[in-house]
Amino acid sequence: MKHIIRKSWAEPYKIKMVELLKMTTPAHRRKAMLEAGFNTFLLKSEDVYIDLLTDSGTSAMSDQQWAGMMLGDEAYAGSRNFYHLEEVVKEIYGYKYLVPTHQGRGAENILSKILIKKGDIIPGNMYFTTTRLHQELAGGKFEDVIIDEAHDPGNEFPFKGNVDLEKLEKLIRKYGANKIPYVSMATSVNMAGGQPISMKNLKELRALTKKHGIRVIHDMTRVAENAHFIQQREKGYQNKSIKAIVKEICSYTDGATMSAKKDALVNIGGFLAINDWDVFEEARNMVVVYEGLHTYGGLAGRDMEAMAIGIKESVNDNHIHARVGQVIYLGEKMIEYGVPIVKPIGGHGIFVDAKKILPHISQDQFPAQTLAAEVYLDSGVRTMERGVVSAGRKANGENYYPKLELVRFTIPRRVYTQAHMDVIAESTARVFERRNKIKGLKMVYEPKYLRFFQARFQPL
Amino acid sequence: MKTIIEPFRIKSVEPIYFTTKEERKTILEKANYNPFRIKAKDVLIDLLTDSGTSAMSSNQWAGIMQGDESYAGSSSFFKFEDSVRSITGMPYIIPTHQGRAAEKIIFTILGGKGKYFISNTLFDTTRANIEFSGAEGIDLICEEGKHPTIPALFKGNIDIEALKKTIREKGAENIPMIIITVTNNSGGGQPVSMQNIKDARAVCKEYNIPLFIDACRFAENSYFIKLREEGYANKTVPEIANELFSYADGCTMSAKKDAFANIGGFLAMRDLDLAIRCRNLLIITEGFTTYGGLAGRDLEAIAIGLQEVMEENYLQYRIRSIEYLTNKLIAAGVPVMQPAGGHAVYIDAKAFLPHIPVEQYPGQSLVCALFEEGGIRSVEIGSLMFGKYDEAGKLLPAQLELVRLAIPRRVYTQSHIDYVSEVIIEVFNNRNKIKGLKITEETPMLRHFTAKLNPII
Repeated sequence: MKHIIRKSWAEPYKIKMVELLKMTTPAHRRKAMLEAGFNTFLLKSEDVYIDLLTDSGTSAMSDQQWAGMMLGDEAYAGSRNFYHLEEVVKEIYGYKYLVPTHQGRGAENILSKILIKKGDIIPGNMYFTTTRLHQELAGGKFEDVIIDEAHDPGNEFPFKGNVDLEKLEKLIRKYGANKIPYVSMATSVNMAGGQPISMKNLKELRALTKKHGIRVIHDMTRVAENAHFIQQREKGYQNKSIKAIVKEICSYTDGATMSAKKDALVNIGGFLAINDWDVFEEARNMVVVYEGLHTYGGLAGRDMEAMAIGIKESVNDNHIHARVGQVIYLGEKMIEYGVPIVKPIGGHGIFVDAKKILPHISQDQFPAQTLAAEVYLDSGVRTMERGVVSAGRKANGENYYPKLELVRFTIPRRVYTQAHMDVIAESTARVFERRNKIKGLKMVYEPKYLRFFQARFQPL
Repeated sequence: MKTIIEPFRIKSVEPIYFTTKEERKTILEKANYNPFRIKAKDVLIDLLTDSGTSAMSSNQWAGIMQGDESYAGSSSFFKFEDSVRSITGMPYIIPTHQGRAAEKIIFTILGGKGKYFISNTLFDTTRANIEFSGAEGIDLICEEGKHPTIPALFKGNIDIEALKKTIREKGAENIPMIIITVTNNSGGGQPVSMQNIKDARAVCKEYNIPLFIDACRFAENSYFIKLREEGYANKTVPEIANELFSYADGCTMSAKKDAFANIGGFLAMRDLDLAIRCRNLLIITEGFTTYGGLAGRDLEAIAIGLQEVMEENYLQYRIRSIEYLTNKLIAAGVPVMQPAGGHAVYIDAKAFLPHIPVEQYPGQSLVCALFEEGGIRSVEIGSLMFGKYDEAGKLLPAQLELVRLAIPRRVYTQSHIDYVSEVIIEVFNNRNKIKGLKITEETPMLRHFTAKLNPII
């Protein structure tokens, strides 16, 4: 029998505390945008009405989490919040050993330094900016082994986060298993638009890597959202709980890096979890240098407590249903208005296809950057460019010209209401309607690294 | 009036759990005679560190509730930036998740093999970060600073003559910066005088070497200058702090000390080029430039704490309460570092336990004895923390064997402190029964955090 998906996604919570927003006028926004050099990263948050820059660290915590904040044990060594977190990670994810870090990239830094040797190859289901950077800094090279469907925004394949096992096998044959310290496997692949990996694919990946003695390291920042898609789309999982699915996902991997700022509903925090004692010991020694003693990892005690509680809340079926339901609600509204977006709709945001909307603006005039600026000017909604600006330049100085020119509308968890979603969709539709009148940008300041953060532009 | 009362009252409390001496013996054994391995719930009075252990004020907690968690351009960041700028006068402010992350960034950029970082005394994580980059750290504490029990006004000063000599020996081009730690933590929380900072500034100028301040306890140091240095009695603490930073090219700060925060730190500097390089690295390991790996609420708490810490009523109470404990111990004949420092009491373990040789870590032995007797957690600052081995595997001991009792800010009351002094005096009276320790397991770097030890019977 087909599982009946509830259409309504009413929030399983009510509002306990609010943060006031400033409503701005078009003149105010034009001035703010000029000051920010047409880069949404450079806007001051007080000039933003609805902030969809990222879903990272922007969640609303629950009253339980706030209560946990008051129970912070700020002892430098052996804080009880650490032991609580350790217990929760074991219970929910099943990993044996835990090293807390101040955020996800702290865990990536340590793990890459421990496992990667110079000349190693790290296959993964699409890169992520900081993850790939840490792998490269440790002397490794990233190889993309995601299925081809992931690169096509219009393709509606349900598991666009899957690993192409043939591509992976080819890599193993080419370089040898001893050159591959681990496969970097992300759940809810961010750069593909929040697309899930299937349990079947994961099982096959486990079998293949087991045969060659290669570890699977799980980038698990949005594992619960991935579990939701498995529950909704994969045979045999309709009646399983998110909690059970999350645990099963983790069981096919050997360790994980986690930015708790996404799924786990906190504003700061992350960890490295691993089943291998030797790696754990080395990580525990290294974390002291970069992050803090291994029982706090650069976090206040209260933040570890909030994380422990947030992890438990994140695998609640009702919570995830409402979370993804809200994202899908926004995506469907946009589709109704004719706005072209990446499909299927992912778990944490809507990716609008700027190339399709602004075909008259060449990549040298930054269509996605332009569209993000236009949406802000229209309504004060802040989004992010994911196109030629983010892709940066090659070693020889030429621009990378990525296939995708996207504007990312990331939805913070539990923060905005349905009415906010309506405003976002309507504003995007308004910009879409006058798309022919929109002109591109030219870059007037370009920093050397990660230019998307600080580059400045002027309208043509 | 003689009694100096706390310029605050208590708004929220945290219970302490009591243990018996028998229980503590077992706890100690399970923790392999290393207090870093003891669970916090098994500690009665936690004097392991004053870092991140402060009680925040109700104003700071209100700031916590106002944290703006926007990824970019958070309004909490701008408040933080203004607050740091108002004190340091430096234009480029870079937040980090704590002090060692700020150090990690600056030493990764400026360090490397063949480089030397000279300081009055580098703290453990600072030294580790320098050595991790391949560079070497050199401590040049003034003569007064080397004698724990002889009082002097500014025992944290750097030895200016030795500084000049070392620069000539190593070559100015191999010295990326001079670092003055205020107050001098490893040397007993002793202050550095304004004159000494000015002199160091002049040397730095002559050789064209940048001067950085390790500013963790800048307010405590500024207050000592007000109390002890000629010409500063009528200046306010913010004025003194402003002047102190005016001689520096940059600073690193752990906001977990003199900003009453439980987490956080920053880098500040005057050089735009260097700031850009630091920010590039920041994004890789810490976070975007307007949050640096901190929640918005923590930026808010730091901004408020930095201003609160400079209030003179608070500093008077703070310095006086450290003095109170120190004087009690001196009266009982316990050998302590004199005069009292700004954030901790330092016991001279070598003089306390003359029957235990340095190879058996007298400091660590005393730390264990204090825990067993009264559930007090302290930390060794001696050969376990700073000792090294020569090529033959023989221990090269640290200059001093100290036990630090760091007092968290605004956390413990006078009766807690009275209890602490009673426990120390009790241990002192039975000191002949204390035995040395040997290491059974250790790591090559920062071994004191995780090392395992055993008593020598």
